[in-house]
Amino acid sequence: MFESFFNQYGFLMVYMVLQATLALSLYLPLTAGQLSLASPGFFALGGYIAAVMSTTVWATNGMFPIPYLLLEMLLGGLASGLLAVVVGVPALRLRGIYLALATIAFVEILRVVSLNLTITGGAVGIFGIPQPFNSSLEYMWVALPLLIACVIFTARLEKSRIGRAFVAIREDELAADAMGVNPTYHKVLAFVIGAMIAGMVGAITAHFLNTWNARQGTFDASINILAFVLIGGSRMTLGPVVGGMLLTALPEILRPVGDVRLIVNGFLLTLGAVLLPQGLISPRVFKRKKVDV
Amino acid sequence: MDITVFVQNFLNGLSIGTVYAIFALGYTIVFSILGIINFSHGAIFTLGAYFTYFLIGGLNNGSGILANAGLPFGLPFVLAILVGSLMAGFCGVLIERLAFKPLRTRGADPLLALVSSLGVALVIVNLVQYLIGAEILSFPSNVFGEFVNQNPSINFNFVDPSRPIPIRTVQIIIFAVSLVILVLLAYLINRTKFGKALRAVAENPITASLLGVSVDRYIFLTFLLSGFLGGLAGTLVGTSFSISGPYFGVTYGLKGLAVIVLGGLGDIPGAVLGGLVIGLAEAFVPGDFSAYKEAVAFALLFIILLVRPQGLLGRRLIQKV
Repeated sequence: MFESFFNQYGFLMVYMVLQATLALSLYLPLTAGQLSLASPGFFALGGYIAAVMSTTVWATNGMFPIPYLLLEMLLGGLASGLLAVVVGVPALRLRGIYLALATIAFVEILRVVSLNLTITGGAVGIFGIPQPFNSSLEYMWVALPLLIACVIFTARLEKSRIGRAFVAIREDELAADAMGVNPTYHKVLAFVIGAMIAGMVGAITAHFLNTWNARQGTFDASINILAFVLIGGSRMTLGPVVGGMLLTALPEILRPVGDVRLIVNGFLLTLGAVLLPQGLISPRVFKRKKVDV
Repeated sequence: MDITVFVQNFLNGLSIGTVYAIFALGYTIVFSILGIINFSHGAIFTLGAYFTYFLIGGLNNGSGILANAGLPFGLPFVLAILVGSLMAGFCGVLIERLAFKPLRTRGADPLLALVSSLGVALVIVNLVQYLIGAEILSFPSNVFGEFVNQNPSINFNFVDPSRPIPIRTVQIIIFAVSLVILVLLAYLINRTKFGKALRAVAENPITASLLGVSVDRYIFLTFLLSGFLGGLAGTLVGTSFSISGPYFGVTYGLKGLAVIVLGGLGDIPGAVLGGLVIGLAEAFVPGDFSAYKEAVAFALLFIILLVRPQGLLGRRLIQKV
């Protein structure tokens, strides 16, 4: 019985874990008060690096070696981090909605460029990316450790000096600056860590989906990931993880509804934003529990 | 560049630029009043085109559940475009009541407005797909009357009469309509009591309400106007090319963002200037790089944000302590 369940939902479960990790990449800059929607751009970049490397440089017959996959994740993460420094230093001078729009522009420019380059396969994209595992579910071996590592890292970071600096900048950048916190350094740091996470997730996802094209990094994805964070809860590490898993599963959960499921999905998104101003998981939920005990 | 090609590119750019401008004005008036970006504006653009298409008596040749359906009557095009855009305007009002007002009354994080309006956009796009289908709908070629049908392009060249420049008549009509709308709008906002009240609400809603302006009523009217402009732009683009399906408005929705930032967020003349700049910039992309045309608006957006974040005409942002 379990076997058929995993066969049917293995793909979805791994995808939920991957999207939850991606949600953290948007959550991190947001802890420093920076609304960056650039995650899908770095996600796409990481995926393209994995797709190009595995189909050309390391092309193998049969199973794709897992160490190569890990190496691609590392490369994807580093390349995304580097690009994030180049983009972040000028862009993070912008605030609020202006930063959001600049990062949307960044994602769109990357999309159009990848649509037109030969190395990225143009509009068709890259097909037949080698598989390191026998089934979708086995991707859990890399996806889940990455999610856990990112969650622990983010949660630890929030408790550290750097995390406190992020919060200080979010609450009042000018005051933080006056207290000796370097806003530019910390803002770029949060942006770069987020980008590295997105790049690594992209590298796994390219193998997982077996194909990679320009549709992976779009404006729609930007807002989707923002929804993961805001509906899940933007004040705790657990929030984006829960939001990412839930909203990724939602269209699947709604499958019995039939043809109108995507309409219901959009409706629930609006309802979630209207009814859950703090998101599903907020620090208040935990505090109230403690009082009860 | 050859003068003939230059003039042709210039007129093409002007025509699409004015459409960008009226579409972006819908974005910018909402931003100037509420300080939020309405991500469902692209979906309103789509709706306007579909409404007009069915109001002139067009049949649904899509495969949605309303396949082959159509209204039992057909309005004249001029009436249809007005009614269709007005219907899009009321959809805008509905979105305001469902997705924005609850957030506003609670004083919620403005970021949530992005998510709630995205949800609405998803509902609209998928509803259109479900009801109508994903197929392309084309307006009849004689929608602007027999004259345009028989004379699809007007040829002229004052410099070199031996090489006439063909201009699509549809484009001239679109340009003229957009120009009239822009002039009317400028009059409405700068010269009427309505415009004065609207600007007062944009400046400071609390002060405006103390001075006897019904803020809620003006927010209603703002969304009506915004939706009307979005729907009108959708119809104009739809008649110039065709309605490419439920995702028709997505690209325009995104480009509209570039337009309003380029001109200065919330700045009305800025949105017009931004629309013209992006329309012209796209028209002058050399043929060899035409694949990159889609990125022009965003490259301009990115550069302007880094160099002059307040936009071409916007006021400098003053940081308050």
